[in-house]
Amino acid sequence: MLKRFIIPVLALALLASAGCSPNTGGNTGGNSEDSLENVSELTIYSGRSEAFIAPFFAEFEAESGIKLNIRYGDSAELAAQILEEGSNSPADLFLSQDAGALGAVAEANLLIELPGDLTSTLPARFLSPTDQWVGITGRARVFAYNPEQVSQLPKSFQDFTRSEYKGRFGIAPTNSSFQAFITALRDNIGEVKAERWLRGIVANSPRYYEKNSMIVEAIDKGDIDLGLTNHYYIFEVANALGRAISVKDGFFAQGDLGNMINVSGAGVLASSKKASAANSLISFLLRRDTQEKFVANTKEYSLLEGVAGPEGLPDLEQIGAPTVDLDALKDLKRTQDLLIKVGLL
Amino acid sequence: MPSLDIAAESRIEAAPMKKTSLLHRGSLALTALLLALAGIPFFYLFQRASGASGSEISALLFREKTFSIFFNTFSLIFLVSLGAVLIGAGFATLLYAVKITRSALFLLLATLPIAIPSYVFTYSWIAIFPWFRGIWAAALVLTFSTMPYIFLATYAALRRVDLVQIEVARSLGFNRLEVFTKIVLPQIRGAIGASLLLVILYVLSDFGAVSLLGVDTFTRTIQNLYKASFDRQSAAILGLILMFIAATIILIEERVHKKNIASNSSVRVQSSASLITKPMAKLASLSLIVIYSFLALALPAYVLTTRMIANFQEIDYPALASATFNTLLVSTFGAIIAIAFALPLSWTIIATRSRFALFTEKVVLITHALPGVVLGLSLVAFGSKISWLYQSVGLLSFAYALLFLAKAVGNTRASMEKIPPILKEVSLTLGVSPLSTFRKITLPLAAPGIWVGFLLVLLTAMKELPATLMLRPTGFETLAVEIWSASTLSQFNQAAPYAFTLIALAAIPTFILSRPDRIQQESNHVEKERWRE
Repeated sequence: MLKRFIIPVLALALLASAGCSPNTGGNTGGNSEDSLENVSELTIYSGRSEAFIAPFFAEFEAESGIKLNIRYGDSAELAAQILEEGSNSPADLFLSQDAGALGAVAEANLLIELPGDLTSTLPARFLSPTDQWVGITGRARVFAYNPEQVSQLPKSFQDFTRSEYKGRFGIAPTNSSFQAFITALRDNIGEVKAERWLRGIVANSPRYYEKNSMIVEAIDKGDIDLGLTNHYYIFEVANALGRAISVKDGFFAQGDLGNMINVSGAGVLASSKKASAANSLISFLLRRDTQEKFVANTKEYSLLEGVAGPEGLPDLEQIGAPTVDLDALKDLKRTQDLLIKVGLL
Repeated sequence: MPSLDIAAESRIEAAPMKKTSLLHRGSLALTALLLALAGIPFFYLFQRASGASGSEISALLFREKTFSIFFNTFSLIFLVSLGAVLIGAGFATLLYAVKITRSALFLLLATLPIAIPSYVFTYSWIAIFPWFRGIWAAALVLTFSTMPYIFLATYAALRRVDLVQIEVARSLGFNRLEVFTKIVLPQIRGAIGASLLLVILYVLSDFGAVSLLGVDTFTRTIQNLYKASFDRQSAAILGLILMFIAATIILIEERVHKKNIASNSSVRVQSSASLITKPMAKLASLSLIVIYSFLALALPAYVLTTRMIANFQEIDYPALASATFNTLLVSTFGAIIAIAFALPLSWTIIATRSRFALFTEKVVLITHALPGVVLGLSLVAFGSKISWLYQSVGLLSFAYALLFLAKAVGNTRASMEKIPPILKEVSLTLGVSPLSTFRKITLPLAAPGIWVGFLLVLLTAMKELPATLMLRPTGFETLAVEIWSASTLSQFNQAAPYAFTLIALAAIPTFILSRPDRIQQESNHVEKERWRE
């Protein structure tokens, strides 16, 4: 009888010892023997989807001779994975769709401080305050709408609680870009007003969608007339459907929080032994010619000063974007609690 | 009849050589290893949840939302159980009662929907009916995609019902309904119950359908907690609650299961005569199956085809080929590992009835109810410390084995239990070693059940997504991953070739599964061969 339990206990002990071995791998970062010449491969965790980013990676590979092993996934899930891996992460670089996921990884001290030649390229509002990540491209919040159905355009995100839009608009409350907006809202106007606005939205009978692209598709189909989304989804959906769609991007009044700019960005893992090679990839992504290709191909905004916006849309400086602390976007927990409280999650 | 079983087992138990035999020690060691490995996700959940203070836990649990999560989860379990049992057992009974020449076709039609991943299925419905949302929609999708499991189990059980009993009952003046409720139902109840348990556990773990349809169940909430706030603590607390729910359901099923009787007659008479003879009744029965397969098969096929044609893009053949190869490779390994654990576990349960083995089986069942993201993250937390293992094909295959082992264990154990103990006993008395007895008697006789278990794990592993995303080797894309990466861009047309290939691939094991007669025949064949030796 006793024997029956000895084996499992032994096995468990063995396993536990394997699982609980003390973390090696330091947190100092960028410390190691790497120079660009002897790095042949880099491992990238990419929250940017393959269809958009793969051509850029291919170009970097051709230029640098460094092979990239790319792991595609959802930005937030990759962030959760990096948090679990801790100092054992095989990743050298984390490329995220939004600043929040980068902020969460930075907060756990899993990203190195980036060198000044990278951080000086961008305006400070598109950087981590601790220089642990940089923005790569900009994505504007907009309202997408059907110009034939909407005569009176909203001037502010606040207008969506008005009766003239009742039942006519869509939101994607489980989507990270919507939640990033709510986080910014809380940070700027406070919890109480943010909750009041959300309750007003819920009372105004919006349609709920899982993804931003579904909002644009629904406007095109005529199910709804407008929706809160990011600026590039109209291009994405038109491209996916292979035809022009009857949906346009609209911007709110100058400085309205509804026009906020979130960024996709990148950080270098503290556990990486190839920090300078990873930095060279960031440097490539921030180069002017690469940035112009982002604007042309993925229809995102360049964060560099003086690069024009995507065709048919105003330039970044003309959007009238509000001042938003992108580092605050990592505090999603309270946003989620709020969304739960008003019944959106 | 059951009393005979117990007697036979206790005699084997008394055989003195058994405890020291290689077979006994080996199985016990493997079962122990399995328990240790299957414990990882639970250990992980406890570890992550342990930092939570009492007030944090109560803030998470005592809110309106928790009520709706419970309500949604249990409503879904109830609706899907009801629907899947009615349709699954109903179809099986109809096909059993109606003997037609093309029965294989109808068996296949009723089974084939399990080849379609629930997220592809859901997407197809949304594409046609934009208003398709909410708990009823989720119940429909999950009923349709889980019904075949109950159908197959019931059909197999019906084939074991002795027709003589039915004839006798009829001659005693029982009407059809009485024959069914008094003779047939008691004999198939066990099979329905066991397959229903797997269906319920699957419903608990499903993410694809509920997320697309906007139904907040435990699994969806857990996934959203990870997603929206990298909040691993709250997610772990909900994961633990999910674990307790699964455990409770398993214990209830066990109680009920004990009351069922299995058909144990050694001689069975089967007839090729149809029990339903009226042409109208025949037609009506078969039309029901055709309607079902139209909704569950033709509709997704139509959406996939039109989407692919609507915006035909160059198919990336090398990528498609490598994704197909990768999917086959890793799901086959997963199924092999699952069987490698299912065999010793089933053997240990049957031979020893030890609490430790039965406990391991329950842990395996609970694991089946865990969301893929929980198992995935727990293996990330443990696996990342062992760099040669982390993000390897081996670890991913192992994750599949762990997630879907429940499907293999049930079938393996059931087929081993059906072997008359006397055979093993005779073999042992003749001086054949336990290991040889296992190889020459148990394994061949249990082969059909093992094979079914293997196919079920293979089939399910092909469709798995959340754990695959985390644990696959970097750059190693499977069909499911390719579908996911294309459909997140609303570019489902790009996903269509991958979805087609995945469904075609999964249709192969499904096809074999849909022919229980064939599988059974093979075993009878083996049985006869063995007796000749």
